[in-house]
Amino acid sequence: MSLSTLTKPWEAMSYGFLDGSAKRELRRKMLKSVAVPGCQMPYASREVPMARGWGTGGLQVSLTLVNPQTRVKVIDQGADDSVNAASIRRFIARVAGTPTTMDTLEADLIQSRHRIPEEVLREDQVLVLQVPNPEPLRPVQPNMSIARQMHADADYGRMWLQLYEQIVRSGRVMQGASYPSLVHGRHVMTPSPIPRWDVPKLHMAEHLTILSAGREKRIFAVPPYTRVEPLVFSDVPYKVEEHGHLTCTRSGTKGFFMNEVPQDDGSSAFEVSDSEWGVKTIRARDGIGESRGETWYKDGEMPQ
Amino acid sequence: MAYVATRGGERAIEQSERLFREEMGSFDRERVEEVKKGLPYLIDRVMGEASLYDEDLAALALAQTGGELYEAVLLLRAWRTTQPRLQVAEPIEQDSLFTHRRISAAFKDIPGGQVLGPTLDYAHRILATDVLQGVSYAPDPVEPATNPSPAYQPSVSAWQAENDLLDSPAEDPTKGNDIPDLTREPLLFPSKRAHTLQSLARAETGGVLALGYAAMRGYGQAHPTVNELRLAEAEIAVTHPDGRQFSAGRVKVSQAEVVDKKGEKLGIGFAATFGWNEVKCIAAATLDLNSPSAEKGSATEEEFFLYHTEGVESSGFCIHFKLPHYVTFQSSLDAMRDAKAKKAAKAREPAE
Amino acid sequence: MLAPPAPSLAETRDNIAFDALLWALSRPGLPRDLPEPGEGSIITALLDRECLVYSADPLLMPEIMRTGAELADIGKADHVFLGAMTTSDSLADIAIGSDYYPDDGATVIIRASIGSGPAIGLVGPGVDGVVTPQLDGLPDGFWKARAARLRYPMGFDLFFVDGARVVGVPRSTTIEEI
Repeated sequence: MSLSTLTKPWEAMSYGFLDGSAKRELRRKMLKSVAVPGCQMPYASREVPMARGWGTGGLQVSLTLVNPQTRVKVIDQGADDSVNAASIRRFIARVAGTPTTMDTLEADLIQSRHRIPEEVLREDQVLVLQVPNPEPLRPVQPNMSIARQMHADADYGRMWLQLYEQIVRSGRVMQGASYPSLVHGRHVMTPSPIPRWDVPKLHMAEHLTILSAGREKRIFAVPPYTRVEPLVFSDVPYKVEEHGHLTCTRSGTKGFFMNEVPQDDGSSAFEVSDSEWGVKTIRARDGIGESRGETWYKDGEMPQ
Repeated sequence: MAYVATRGGERAIEQSERLFREEMGSFDRERVEEVKKGLPYLIDRVMGEASLYDEDLAALALAQTGGELYEAVLLLRAWRTTQPRLQVAEPIEQDSLFTHRRISAAFKDIPGGQVLGPTLDYAHRILATDVLQGVSYAPDPVEPATNPSPAYQPSVSAWQAENDLLDSPAEDPTKGNDIPDLTREPLLFPSKRAHTLQSLARAETGGVLALGYAAMRGYGQAHPTVNELRLAEAEIAVTHPDGRQFSAGRVKVSQAEVVDKKGEKLGIGFAATFGWNEVKCIAAATLDLNSPSAEKGSATEEEFFLYHTEGVESSGFCIHFKLPHYVTFQSSLDAMRDAKAKKAAKAREPAE
Repeated sequence: MLAPPAPSLAETRDNIAFDALLWALSRPGLPRDLPEPGEGSIITALLDRECLVYSADPLLMPEIMRTGAELADIGKADHVFLGAMTTSDSLADIAIGSDYYPDDGATVIIRASIGSGPAIGLVGPGVDGVVTPQLDGLPDGFWKARAARLRYPMGFDLFFVDGARVVGVPRSTTIEEI
């Protein structure tokens, strides 16, 4: 063995920032997370030039997957122009030379925090969701070792009990975002803090979704055509946010997840959360051209 | 197009970074040297928390972040993670440490002697305000001892083990590349011993102190006696691919052993870190001492203190709450309003 | 800031290989193209000194060793290269992980002919309804031996390599022999 077999020619920075060993570990763990949908796989999770909790898990996955042809879209709260989305998009382009886009349909890889775009993702697209807390059991069991045992035993009784207590107390399940969901009939997973509106988009989807928590060092996945079922009781059906009837004051689009914007007069205005969908709607309205793709929701309802 | 403000975000983040950097202004190697020379204990702390021993890089990180400690450590960790792991150095035994300071609170005197070394422990903490009046601060020169203490010292716990006062931890035969590396593997519980010690070595000083102090005040079962505290330099011995062993230099290290009565013998807690950082080592060793008997979910349980003293993770998560959360908030609002409406509807129902 | 770093040839090859593997495992039974024929690109994309590897094919050893991976018994290995199989016996020893850590189940790479031989029916995550690929060159009783080892989420994950084509069958897939 010589030093040269151990080393490589000097580079100011590896392609995509992460070195070979970090990428290989992520590749190995991504395969395992696809093989056992919804099951949290531990990984080393390297430090990246961004603070923990700011999308470092999603970023590591994106940096491992991209090549100079990968067209990347990054959104935060549904918006491409959100400051953190802009920062992550700029970083990926800077270290991997990837083209970027805001058009969901044009993207090969979409990294997102808290939303899934409204347009249907295709089988050639990968969705990378940033995850702050990968453990759906944390509210009932903060200790990770015990929670892991509960997953191993498929022991979700306390989870069900918590939902039941909410119904008794408040007449409904009070979970807002991050709605716990059963994947492939075996593992309860957090879909990341996406609204309830977005969870059905993961069920039997055409695209691959990878969820990665950098700070907590866990990665999991929902392959295409995989059952993702929100935990519900048969007599209390799953309810998405009541946004189906709302109209975006800026674009006029209706039937999608909205941001509520408090007004001076005490009322609320609404803006579509998927900012690029809003832009496309305005373009179509102004006669600049139709670029909108098919959406998951139709007339404010998820079909089936 | 009314909607498109898409470039606004990018411009805003760029300008906000400029605003931050404006305060430090331009800087060069000279400032880095000045930081390195004037603030060695801060450099030590940063190197320890970054788990990267390089005084120049640590000084650079401090200069570049204006002393924002969490940012400096993150900068170094992010740099460190891209570096190839070429070699694993030989293990270092306590008696091969070039020792500057070594004290034991357990005995009046110990084999090898108490060596006070450099410390502010007995200094009167009086601010040298004269300096602000233009008087320069010139510390009195050190007078060499007539009988210099030996640079290499045996460990106190070795003597205790010989005298059947404690059971030394079983020797771990794991070598070289097989030693688990926290930066390449996730921390899982029950934690591997190597991971525990590595995790404490790079823990955030304030975090370790807070939890260690909680244990000392009585939230832990064990009450620490400082068996031995050392500030030293360690020789980094590595093997060249041609088989020869050589020294890659010396690094400053600190370590602490704390003990407590455990049945008929002493229980021992240990911690070590890059750089000289006594508070961190004593606090970390106290946590280590307490962890075997800790209750699940208590502050002295390994999972609890290792997770919560990880400075890059905890500080990052703390500041992430500044990010917009309006989607999750909206989702909660929807559930709240619906629950309220249901309650109101129920109240309107006539009683049966 | 400097121009974005350009990927090396090795980086490009590993990136393409992994893309194929990830896609293939996400769509069980549907073939995908590796950057070059054989196991070579799989080895460099996945393996390094953190890995324990078993190879039944001695010709793959030098390439595996170059990654820094350690050779291990089949039961301990996280990556298992079985080459062209003659019996199904070796499946009995492959690591399947634990309920606690299903990720300890191995990744298994096998040579087979894709697109000829008996068809099998695949059902499960990644499959829209059912897919029926043909795989040839597997020993008798292969699928029974696999089924005997799987205790989902414990199990191992399979890649079949035929020249530059690869088919994935994760542990979550249920097989019906047709």
